[in-house]
Amino acid sequence: MTVLFDAPEIWLTVLACVLLLGEAFTGVRSRTIGQFAVVGTAVIFVVTLLSVVPPGGATYWSGSYIWDGTAQFFKLFFIFTSLVVTWMSLTFESQIDENRAEFYVLPLLITAGMCLLASAGDFMLMFVALELVTITFYILVAYQRQVRASLEAGVKYLILGGLSSAFLVMGIAYVYGLTGSTNFSLVFGVIQAGEITGPSVLPLAFGLLLVLVGIGFKIAGVPFHIWAPDVYQGAPTPITAFLSVGSKAAGFVILIRVLVDAFGLVQLYANYWSLLLIIMAAASMLLGNLAAIPQRNLKRMLAYSSIGHSGFVLIGVLALAGSGPARELGGTAVGIYLISYLIASLLAFVIVAIVTQKESPDAIHNYAGLWQRSPLLAGGLAVALISLAGIPPTVGFVGKLTIFTAAWEANLYSLFWIGVAAAVAGFYYYLGVVKTMFWSKPLDTEPIPVAPSLRFLILLLVVATFVLGFFTTGLQVMVGDLVAANL
Amino acid sequence: MTLLLLLLIPLAAIFLIMLRCPAKPVAVWGAAANFVYSIVMMGGYDTTGSAGSKIIDGYQFVIKYPWLDLPGLPLISFHLGLDGINAPLVFLCTTVTLAAVSLTPATIKRAPEFFIYVLLMSLGALGAFLSLDLFFFFIFHEFALIPTFLLIGIWGTQNRQFASMQLTLYLTLGSLVLLGGILALVLWSGANTFDIVDIQKQLANTALSETDQFAIWPLLLVGFGILISLFPFHTWAPGGYACAPPAAAMMHAGVLKKFGIYGILRVAMPCLDPSGAAWAYWEPWLWVLLLGNVLFVGYTTVAQKELPLMLGFSSVMHMGYMFLGIATFDLIGLTGVVMLMVAHGLSAALLFAIAGEIQQRTGENRMDQLGGLAKRMPFLATAFVLGSLASVGMPGLANFAGEIMIFFGAFNRINFGAYEAGQAVPLMIVVILAIWGIVISAIYSLRSISKVFFGDLPERYAEVRDLETFQERAPYILLMAVLLLLGFVPSIITSNAHQSLSLMLGGGS
Repeated sequence: MTVLFDAPEIWLTVLACVLLLGEAFTGVRSRTIGQFAVVGTAVIFVVTLLSVVPPGGATYWSGSYIWDGTAQFFKLFFIFTSLVVTWMSLTFESQIDENRAEFYVLPLLITAGMCLLASAGDFMLMFVALELVTITFYILVAYQRQVRASLEAGVKYLILGGLSSAFLVMGIAYVYGLTGSTNFSLVFGVIQAGEITGPSVLPLAFGLLLVLVGIGFKIAGVPFHIWAPDVYQGAPTPITAFLSVGSKAAGFVILIRVLVDAFGLVQLYANYWSLLLIIMAAASMLLGNLAAIPQRNLKRMLAYSSIGHSGFVLIGVLALAGSGPARELGGTAVGIYLISYLIASLLAFVIVAIVTQKESPDAIHNYAGLWQRSPLLAGGLAVALISLAGIPPTVGFVGKLTIFTAAWEANLYSLFWIGVAAAVAGFYYYLGVVKTMFWSKPLDTEPIPVAPSLRFLILLLVVATFVLGFFTTGLQVMVGDLVAANL
Repeated sequence: MTLLLLLLIPLAAIFLIMLRCPAKPVAVWGAAANFVYSIVMMGGYDTTGSAGSKIIDGYQFVIKYPWLDLPGLPLISFHLGLDGINAPLVFLCTTVTLAAVSLTPATIKRAPEFFIYVLLMSLGALGAFLSLDLFFFFIFHEFALIPTFLLIGIWGTQNRQFASMQLTLYLTLGSLVLLGGILALVLWSGANTFDIVDIQKQLANTALSETDQFAIWPLLLVGFGILISLFPFHTWAPGGYACAPPAAAMMHAGVLKKFGIYGILRVAMPCLDPSGAAWAYWEPWLWVLLLGNVLFVGYTTVAQKELPLMLGFSSVMHMGYMFLGIATFDLIGLTGVVMLMVAHGLSAALLFAIAGEIQQRTGENRMDQLGGLAKRMPFLATAFVLGSLASVGMPGLANFAGEIMIFFGAFNRINFGAYEAGQAVPLMIVVILAIWGIVISAIYSLRSISKVFFGDLPERYAEVRDLETFQERAPYILLMAVLLLLGFVPSIITSNAHQSLSLMLGGGS
């Protein structure tokens, strides 16, 4: 039972409790709390990185807790996201009026929830972990209470989050009612044995559909994306980053768990979900990328573009959860695309958090001539956007390439061509921002100071973008276990 | 001797400029070193093609090691090699790069960035030409698009915002369509690798099925076609080149655009069976489109009023001849394509450079507002006349050798190809119409010479200066000298190209 001692969920929760108590009883400054949170998260990241996954994976508590390659990949993903988010919160502190310490502690609880989600082997555990994530996010999204946009975002996220949980729980009820279990492997056993027949097939498929709708909200796939632009724009920037990277990946890990572990390769149900996911992928890629074009607010633009990126990842999920030789490539594609999205998105949001101004926050015209005000910020944001657009030699290109190859290998030709159209549209608005930064006249020529620690963070992410784009052996190591776990 | 050095020299120059070394001297010395090194490589090229160990599958100086083996993804290797087809293009690239950086004034705004971007374009083009792996072949070209975008957008003239965006988006679309074709080729060939040589070997054993070839052919044609500005996908080119700073127009029109033609020679021809039904089905489309380039774009060129725009259209028009060379599918015709790629690259670079110089010195680019400049600028006038005559196809200049070989190749196919009586008529009509294109190009070239350089000199240009020092003239002299040299001794290029092409076609079918 070694896993229980190095399971990151435990230590994240412990860290959160210690920091909360410390803030309440010792009176240390909120900034110190934040620094402790960063260091603690970094330590937990290293411990998780070093913990060994037994070959073939292991399960605990009668299969409801899974410790395998998928779990480890996503846990590292979430902890790293949390690390960067807390790090950038340190610079965002001035934008928050009160209760600053909780702003560093709550993300730890979210991360604990996400890590639990990555290991969930049971619909109930999955739901509880998801609620831990979502409810904590309700608080954080509305954290800047003095800003109306933030409050509005909070309310929207609350209502639509509640709605999506309702769909999910309803779907779980159907699945339980028809299969008699909430455990993924038991559900799979019942389905595979062919015990669900005749008139029961359709209700079970309907239950799966409801579960997928719930997950659709989490990954912000069209048509369940409507909350994303407003919430992304209104939430404090570090929280937007967390939502767009962490929360989205959390949606994908449960999608993979439900499709691969619970419903598996059962062709009868694959006919239902694959059609749904194909439509969702196509609509997300097109709508996300086309609707991003007219946006004048950078955070809103990134929100739409993140909807588009969900569409691309869905192609990988379709290949991964499908059959045949595409399965292996699908796992690779999902892993690499998420890594590339993680690096580029976080890089973009770190810079957005630094450039943010009080009046007309995050409008793209604030970025005019950024090159002259701070070459580091302009260069960093350009690298992030180029990677999101998928231009070599960045890691974003490797992501796009694997996704496109997976689409071709899985015979999803229509999605390939829609992806091509979406990628070209993506070029247009990403390069539009690059254009603004590099050759528009600045409204304000005052240089923007960047703290040394953030300078280091930006350079780290920029270097990672190129190094992983060039020397892709690193990627190979990162996704190896994820792929092996889903074969 | 290693091919890697060709890529490392520009990279080193870029790093030195980033470290705040004086931009122009570093760029010029870097480009010059690369130019010299490319000549040294040519000198080390084994022209007899007999020495065994040095040559692998017809490629020399081969560097190959596995790069990326992701689970499920076909193997990607870093594979460089030189043969008679890409060696001339490498030489073209280093020559044009040297000319482009040395004629850019050191005082240009944001100079370090400018030279970095030009060197990045050069690096991208060299990498694409040298790569024998489809992954690197693709990404080196794609990667050169960003510096192109920035060069046009920051240093361009007139409608630069629109032009840079249009050019980049159009080329990206082309690249992605091409990516579709490449993925189809890689996955359907069953070779499970991105390596061009290995795919060809695999296909030599088991050719692609007819239906696969039917699907891949248009993807490659449209993908490469957009990159080459094949009619009707050419609309990005003239405007983009007209707005670009001279160095960027030289690098793109002269060098990077040749990537598409090179790709057809390197990837499409050996992998898709030219005697098969797919090729036979799609080929008439190619004929029609190439006539679109030669005739439609040719007449459009005649109508142009602005010098840079006219040159942009003219460079699109000449792409038609390269497609004709490909459509001949004859050894002589294809050798002509290689020759014409180099020749056109040099002459287009020369003309764009002069157009930039004239615009900078007179502040004018409308041809009817200019005139009589030969009196004030004898050197530029001479260079422009030489460049124009080269692009028309005057004997003694490199373009002539390329074009005449293409026409010979076409007639070769008509006379000796596998045609039954009467079947060769459509191709013959295509060739005759294409030859008419030479007349069109003579019309617009000579008219532009007479309008810009002869006639009355307007008062306001009485004080315009020519290029006076040798330093200023050197890049132009370099381009002209190479044009003349290759015009008189085309065998420098053609003999190796002929050898490699015959090996490729012999091995491919």
